[in-house]
Amino acid sequence: MRYSMSANRIITIFKLMALCLVPLFIDNAYAELTANANHDQIKIDFFYHGSTIALGGVSDPKTDLIIKVSSQEGHQVMREKGKVGGFLWMNVGELKLEHVPAMYFIHSTKKIEDIITPEDMNKYVLGYSALERHVEMNPISNGEEKTKWFGEFVKFKEASKLYDTSSGNIEFTNKDGKQNYYILRQWPFQAPPGNYTVTVYAVKDKKITEIATKNILVEQVGLVKSLATMARSNGALYGIISILAALAAGFGVGIIFRKSGGAH
Amino acid sequence: MYLYLPVALTSINILIPIGLGLAVGLLSGLFGVGGGFLMTPLLIMCGIPSTVAAATDSNQIVAASTSGTYAHWKVGNVDFKMGLYLLAGGFLGGLLGVQGIKILRAMGNADFVIKITYVLMLGIVGVYMFFESLSSMRGKKSKSDAADKESTVGAFLKSLPLQTHFEKSGVTHSVLVPVTLGCLVGILAAIMGVGGGFLMVPIMFYLLRMPMHVIVGTSLFQILFTCIEVTFLQAYTNHTVDFTLAVLLLLGSTVGAQVGAVFGRKLKGEQLKILLAAIVLLVTVKIIFDLTLPPSLLLSEPGGH
Repeated sequence: MRYSMSANRIITIFKLMALCLVPLFIDNAYAELTANANHDQIKIDFFYHGSTIALGGVSDPKTDLIIKVSSQEGHQVMREKGKVGGFLWMNVGELKLEHVPAMYFIHSTKKIEDIITPEDMNKYVLGYSALERHVEMNPISNGEEKTKWFGEFVKFKEASKLYDTSSGNIEFTNKDGKQNYYILRQWPFQAPPGNYTVTVYAVKDKKITEIATKNILVEQVGLVKSLATMARSNGALYGIISILAALAAGFGVGIIFRKSGGAH
Repeated sequence: MYLYLPVALTSINILIPIGLGLAVGLLSGLFGVGGGFLMTPLLIMCGIPSTVAAATDSNQIVAASTSGTYAHWKVGNVDFKMGLYLLAGGFLGGLLGVQGIKILRAMGNADFVIKITYVLMLGIVGVYMFFESLSSMRGKKSKSDAADKESTVGAFLKSLPLQTHFEKSGVTHSVLVPVTLGCLVGILAAIMGVGGGFLMVPIMFYLLRMPMHVIVGTSLFQILFTCIEVTFLQAYTNHTVDFTLAVLLLLGSTVGAQVGAVFGRKLKGEQLKILLAAIVLLVTVKIIFDLTLPPSLLLSEPGGH
């Protein structure tokens, strides 16, 4: 009887030990999603001409990935061109957009529509169609008009290199039983200073199973920052300095040319 | 080599603004125009936001017109008295024009009026100047012959009170004439969002009967003060002057203005006029194409044209 009780205790201890080991095996099967970038700060100095950013991390091999890089949402006013008198193209009005990011990149392993449900696309604002539903536009009289002008807005942003979508460009490598994902992309110099967020979504069976984020700060530094701050906060002094510099340059070049005989 | 522009929030190859400045400065020194009607659209094409392009262009014109005025003043081609009267009228016209734009915007058809005014003004001035210069050159008529030709308009101008002699230009006019003409150009310039040099130069020649070389120097002198005012107002109220971009532009434009002034003295008045007319007509044709061909993008940022 005593032996039987000891055996039961030993079995229970083994069971408890086995239970403790389960998460280790699960961890190997479902690696926790991570999001990293080679820069978490992009500094804008006089020689800044955009940057290249490497985004990567660890993901579960059985999942698809969607990577969204976007700025904070805000308000934007655009001018609409239209036909006047049947043949003249000119500005005919303003289009106001709310909850719209200044920059919006989406990269996915497959086409977004094929890997997640429309509900999740809308919930997490993934893809241009979801962004169109998310953004408020004014004045717009119907859905058809909204689609037309949102399409024009995307064309404008893509031409400015601030909006972009792609699928199938995320690369994967396997190391130590884990899967690493990786994508290299250009960070456009047109992207204004501010806070940007990289959000990585792991998708399995059309459901988002994990989300990881990484923040990137883009800021002006040094003389670029001083000039931009002065232009914004001390416009009068900035204006006077700009005028004086222009006058000095004009006279300076005039005197140089006169001395060198150019003006004769 | 690229340089980042702190106010425009974009990066640009420095050879582009220096080259543009050189080309437009050359025109400025040659013809006495600020060149805003050329420079602002070119900067927008290079990715500069339209509000920054217009404001910064004013800043660089301050440098180019200082350089040009200095070059012309040194050889006695600036009529300061005439310039100041035109300037006084221009300031008044600018104020009236800004109010006019507000009314047009409230009525909702500002852009239509601006575009049509632009095309008509450029077209009429360009065509008239081109054919008049052509017929003068063919008929071997000298500038002074044309200037001496009396007309009904000339007789009317002479009948006005407050007549005064403008020694440098060698003409006598009522003070009211340059002030009123300056005012009219100021109104149109404010409506069109340009400096108005391309309107002022023909007005000085055909209505004020000034010699072409004095016109160029005097026009630059007037443009200098107009652009100082515009630069300050843009920097103070809209914060849209990009000093870095202005420096790159003026590196080219100040040199271009000097070279233009040298070339200008080697050309005859008629040759200068026909060249300016050809440029004005080319710009008119470009604007007509822009107005009639479907644009690639139907949305743009606010500001500019």
